[in-house]
Amino acid sequence: MPSQKPHYRHLRDKWIARHRELQGTLWSKHKDSLGWLGNKSKQLAIGSSLGGLLIFGLPQIQPVSTSNSLTFNEQIAQDIDKSVFLISDLYNVLPKEVRHLTFDEEQKISDIIFRSFSIKATAVLNGKRLNRSYGLIGLEQHLARFPGDNMRSHFDTQEEAKKFWSSGMASGLGAWGYFASSKDKLSEKDKLREKYYIAVQTFLAPGFNENFAKFRDFFKYRKMLVVNPNNGKAVIAVIGDAGPAEFTGKHLGGSPEVMHYLERVDGSLKGPVIYFFIDDPSDTIPLGPIALS
Amino acid sequence: MLYLNIMEKHFYSHLIETSLLSLELGDIDLSKEERIHLGLLIDSNIHSVILDAILSELSEKDKRIFLAHLATNDHNKIWTHLRANIKNIEEKIKKAAESIKQELHRDIKEAKGK
Repeated sequence: MPSQKPHYRHLRDKWIARHRELQGTLWSKHKDSLGWLGNKSKQLAIGSSLGGLLIFGLPQIQPVSTSNSLTFNEQIAQDIDKSVFLISDLYNVLPKEVRHLTFDEEQKISDIIFRSFSIKATAVLNGKRLNRSYGLIGLEQHLARFPGDNMRSHFDTQEEAKKFWSSGMASGLGAWGYFASSKDKLSEKDKLREKYYIAVQTFLAPGFNENFAKFRDFFKYRKMLVVNPNNGKAVIAVIGDAGPAEFTGKHLGGSPEVMHYLERVDGSLKGPVIYFFIDDPSDTIPLGPIALS
Repeated sequence: MLYLNIMEKHFYSHLIETSLLSLELGDIDLSKEERIHLGLLIDSNIHSVILDAILSELSEKDKRIFLAHLATNDHNKIWTHLRANIKNIEEKIKKAAESIKQELHRDIKEAKGK
């Protein structure tokens, strides 16, 4: 891999993000005809190698490498195949406005997720659910992981610090307190839980007030799949905090790392995500970004 | 520019002038691979905007006809269809491209300032 210069990285990240947004717009505005072509292409076996390339023109994410055994067009076609069909499938199910999903919609989305990521994710788990499973996500701050954790001790690498320092650290603790009782006891798992956490409105979950202890234990570090339906990016996160307050107009929050990966932002440009529970009692599904299968 | 040799020739390529963007990228210290990749990203950003501009002008039936021609890359059929269904299509494509090109210029300028 050639060295990557800062100017290159800056432009690459910006233009890939814009490309994904433009694709999202394209699909949201013209989903019927694009969906029609997707089906037609499959029937005619012209598929993404030709039709997809000409229509979506998505360059591969990594720079061109002469040692790559795939041809350039084949690589592009693979990238398109994987994300475009997920985006298209979700557009066909999700409502135009960001509202509560119906049971039927949730079931269809579970099916799409299983097809796309090979994991079972549902809006209801063990009879419990959140107040919603599709909502607007805002940016949260870093959480203190152990007593004395601060911005100077928070990052493992300079690169992480550079990328995520600006989000700052919340003045209070997460809903479950510290992730570890001391710096020495902070495990890799604890680090990942803080890095990939979401804040959800646990306090609005149906039945929460009547069964506080049961619901608290259920939600504590519960794994969830969070998907940006506009670009198909998804991350496995844990419930690490409760919030945001209803008056904010936001329905959940993501850690700086979650937001960065999903390419979601706060403020007037905030957008929706799907968030479903993952049933992973043996704790085998790793936290962090998840690739399409 | 290197990337121009491998970029897809689109049905609208004769209407879109990207040499200024290429020149601006040429001023930045980039490897050959990085330059190619950024060139392709420029191409794909412009492509998405133009497709949206065209599809937004067509009826559902005409969108499908256009997409079918696009999928087979038949430039003659694409142009016959577009000229029959969208008034001043060439100007509309140029205008759509111009807006995204301005954003791309701003991005390059911003990157140079970093």
